[in-house]
Amino acid sequence: MPSNADKPQTTHVCYADSAWHGVAKVELNVQLARDTFRLRIVCPQIARRILPGQFVMVRLPGINDPLLGRPLALYDVIVDGGNPAAIDVVYLVVGKMTRLLARLKPGEMLELWGPLGNGFPPVQGGHLVMVAGGIGQTPFLALAKEHLGLQQYGDPPRVAPQAKKVTLCYGVRTADLLAGLDDFRRAGVEVFVSTDDGSLGHGGVVTDLIAPVVDSSPWPCCLVCCGPEPMLAAAAQIARQRHLPCLVSLESPMACGIGICFSCAVKIRQPSGGWDYRRSCVEGPVFRAEDVVFPTTG
Amino acid sequence: MPHLPELEVQLGRLRLANPIMAASGTFGYAREMAGMVDLRRLGAIVPKTITPLPRAGNPPPRTVETAAGMLNSIGLDNDGIEAFISNQLPYLASLGVPIVVSIAGKNYGEFVSMASRLDGLPGVTALELNISCPNVSGGVDFGADAQMCHRVVGGVRQACSLPVLAKLTPNVTDIAQIAAAAEQGGADAITVVNTCLGMAVDWRRRRPILGNVLGGLSGPAIKPIALRAVYQVARAVKVPVVGVGGIATIDDVMEFLVTGATAVQIGTANFYDPTVTMRLLDQLPDALAELGAASVAEVVGTLSV
Repeated sequence: MPSNADKPQTTHVCYADSAWHGVAKVELNVQLARDTFRLRIVCPQIARRILPGQFVMVRLPGINDPLLGRPLALYDVIVDGGNPAAIDVVYLVVGKMTRLLARLKPGEMLELWGPLGNGFPPVQGGHLVMVAGGIGQTPFLALAKEHLGLQQYGDPPRVAPQAKKVTLCYGVRTADLLAGLDDFRRAGVEVFVSTDDGSLGHGGVVTDLIAPVVDSSPWPCCLVCCGPEPMLAAAAQIARQRHLPCLVSLESPMACGIGICFSCAVKIRQPSGGWDYRRSCVEGPVFRAEDVVFPTTG
Repeated sequence: MPHLPELEVQLGRLRLANPIMAASGTFGYAREMAGMVDLRRLGAIVPKTITPLPRAGNPPPRTVETAAGMLNSIGLDNDGIEAFISNQLPYLASLGVPIVVSIAGKNYGEFVSMASRLDGLPGVTALELNISCPNVSGGVDFGADAQMCHRVVGGVRQACSLPVLAKLTPNVTDIAQIAAAAEQGGADAITVVNTCLGMAVDWRRRRPILGNVLGGLSGPAIKPIALRAVYQVARAVKVPVVGVGGIATIDDVMEFLVTGATAVQIGTANFYDPTVTMRLLDQLPDALAELGAASVAEVVGTLSV
């Protein structure tokens, strides 16, 4: 049952107070894998403020169909001459909007607003273990680079604790959907891959990869996860059994991204007991795993 | 140098500095928009509808995009009137713009007691009766029945000294008749329209897409329906009409004013164009000047048929 809203809340509302809204130029739109593209948008206003795990809403300017923006997580910030100049997002072609995005050419314009959401907090602990399913790897490149001391994000630039090691456990249906492996490896991330059909790496679900990594690590591990809900629920359970901190970035469908439509409701446990629907866009998309009521776990 | 057109409008006892309002359910409690919009410039803000008790709202998915529009079945997710008064109202009151509090009750008594609770509270400028939300059982009945509409508007008028707007549903046979009933009940203005009842289906899974099966259609797709409702209602009542439904551009605003709306509310456009209200305010003087009008009032209802 929903709890009384006057009582203390699990989450903190992160309003779009530093968000920029406008039209910006596409600089790059290249294919990374099957149906998967990396899009670069020249937008210093967002680039200098955005944190790993935050997102932008993107739409095609001047048209009514498709109508609503689509939430896309920050993949990386592109620095030019020492200044944050552009943001990269990675998207999977799944519907009307993403099919049109895939046709965009450098020089064409996109409408966007952001940065939005809470993003990842600086992650404490020696070994950062990132668990991604499907297109869920996209928020992790910037997080990894930040915790490996390769890049700073935010305004003023945020100082994150340095990780002893960063590992990516990345599962997809089939090998040709794996997108951005080189980017992660180049940053110094250890990568383990799983495929549902066994076409590459471990044949099975990505959560099979977690226990061997965390159980053999000499450092305290922290899990961050993004992907389908059953994957998040399974990863959260593995973390809970081992008393490891675990953050999840939810991919709830959104209409506005700024907290005004109440579409992206997710069940969040309340300190007073019970749960309440909270807005993933302004109270997430990153939540502590133990606060999320997953449909599969009840 | 020509004078700028006068933007002030009067909705019964409610005076607005300009006719651009933020519609209920599409602007949160305004605090969400503070980083993107200069809230003080708005003619009025209608915060998300409140109910007597907290409501969790409907299970997701709560919205789905459709051609040039969207369906929603949020289900009046809100923390209840007391949480609104303690957590949202102080901020809204600090803005210095008219706050039109949108209320929904399950029955006559709930509407009346909410009106009486809000009467006289700092920051509450007026009430908008949401007698038209398609997503809560009970709510739609008041806007679908002329007698019930008349009674609830009259009861709210007696229970408080606030200006009262009645927000009507387009999902009725004769909206002009309902509007006339609201006017007779004492409404200061009539807001038309709430969303159009609709549905989206995934045929491969043979399932409705929305968690609540049916939802309310909004966005540019319903603009012609809203414009038609403004036309019909403006001819049926003497009180001012507030137009809402798919308004996203200055041309849309002018179409509604000319057709008979004294003010307009911007709804779904806030979702996909969060700074739209500021752009419309920037563009309004020039559009009025294009008609040679010295004020908004001069163009309202000037449609020749």
